[in-house]
Amino acid sequence: MALSTEELKKAIEEKALKSPKPQLYIKDFYACDPDSKPRVIKNIANEMVREGKLMFWSSGSTTMYAVPSRIKNEESSEGIGNE
Amino acid sequence: MAKHETPLLDQLESGPWPSFVSDLKRQAEKKPECWDILGILELSYKDRITHWKHGGIVGVFGYGGGIVGRYADVPKLFPGVEHFHTIRVAQPSSKYYSTANLRQLMDLWEKHGSGMTNFHGSTGDIILLGTRTENLEPFFWDLTHDMGQDLGGSGSNLRTPANCVGQSRCEWSCYDTEEVCYHLTMHYQDEIHRPAFPYKFKFKFSGCPNDCVAAIARSDVSVIGTWRDNIRIDQAAVKEYVAGNYPPNGGAHSGRDWGKFDLQKEVIDLCPTECMWMEGDELKIDDKECTRCMHCINVMPRALRPGADQGASVCVGAKAPILDGAQFSTLIVPFMKVSKDNEFEELIEFIEGIWDWWMEVGKNRERVGETMQRVGLPTFLQVMGIDPIPQHVKEPRSNPYVFWKEEEVEGGFERDIVEFRAKHAA
Repeated sequence: MALSTEELKKAIEEKALKSPKPQLYIKDFYACDPDSKPRVIKNIANEMVREGKLMFWSSGSTTMYAVPSRIKNEESSEGIGNE
Repeated sequence: MAKHETPLLDQLESGPWPSFVSDLKRQAEKKPECWDILGILELSYKDRITHWKHGGIVGVFGYGGGIVGRYADVPKLFPGVEHFHTIRVAQPSSKYYSTANLRQLMDLWEKHGSGMTNFHGSTGDIILLGTRTENLEPFFWDLTHDMGQDLGGSGSNLRTPANCVGQSRCEWSCYDTEEVCYHLTMHYQDEIHRPAFPYKFKFKFSGCPNDCVAAIARSDVSVIGTWRDNIRIDQAAVKEYVAGNYPPNGGAHSGRDWGKFDLQKEVIDLCPTECMWMEGDELKIDDKECTRCMHCINVMPRALRPGADQGASVCVGAKAPILDGAQFSTLIVPFMKVSKDNEFEELIEFIEGIWDWWMEVGKNRERVGETMQRVGLPTFLQVMGIDPIPQHVKEPRSNPYVFWKEEEVEGGFERDIVEFRAKHAA
């Protein structure tokens, strides 16, 4: 039986917090509930972005999801010109 | 006054063609960050490696696409391009602009960005090159509130749909490409603005098989206008072409004397399926053999027109050559009515059938055409509930074995693997 929305949100958040890499593809969340349709999981992940629990991270060609606290702030990163 | 020495780039200005280096230098007089673009590019040429970091945290609130993050990895050397994000703005259907709209857009980009643009990106969007993170939200507010325009797609989203001029200017268009493009753009706002798929996904709509938006080469779902009855022939106009009274190709090649128009040589002999011939002074076409190459119609537009029973062929799976080389879309549905009367229900059902399957079985960063290639066309057709037809066959079979399924054999068959293994070891 498919998880409820709240259970699914919790499972997605847990997955995003515990995965080795901070950025996840939408497909990586499908395993949170094999009984839910991918488009349902996609809609819930997007709702979590609106709630601020997840954020989008763009590789330039692919958009991924991440927990905001796990993403390094690129704007404060040190470039070689800063040496 | 140039801010950086750019001897390698300066050399590019010496050729006979217009140079982007000259354009950038001119723009740099107004927007000083453009000096840093020249500087960072010169450094990349010298170091033979890019100094852009790909990706990062950019976007406007609630959107997961439309903005592509670009950060320089040498911000101290080139502070003007420390952030240099690209914004994709959805183009109007068929790329019809008013000058007022273009001026407003350019004013907006001079205000919030570098003023550099690319009309258009390969998907069709207006590309605005170079702005800082803090300018994104103000730009987005002005774009959406003052201009009523929207960002386009990027990332693993549905990309901005594109279409040819369709029935607005073209008599050959077999369906209203602008209507369907607009309708699906509005219908799939969530998929355009937020990541939804294993990788990018594109639709393109061409009104006839001339395929002016190159849908068959560039889109995951290529909707290409066609007809299923006969090419309409005006025999009187055929005679006018033969007599040399009407210029062939609508006069498109009139800049040079090609000699007298020769119907046999220029049309009949070039028909790829040899389905045309003359009977006396009448042109005949065996329409069931026609492959919709459009050559005869293109050469004699006043004599030949697409048939009256119009719709579209739907092909799936084109992509550019990242993995396994470039590929065209594969014909899946030879004819589909594309009608606003039922809000394009049949097409929407088809598209969502693909998405439901691809979202489940597609690997990360695998285009739907690659997934189809991986599982094979028979499996794809089965998933989509489409019966195979001869047009689906690419080549004669090379596998001598036929693996029948129970439902394919009259009367079926029962096979108990446990009972079989009791007598036969694996």
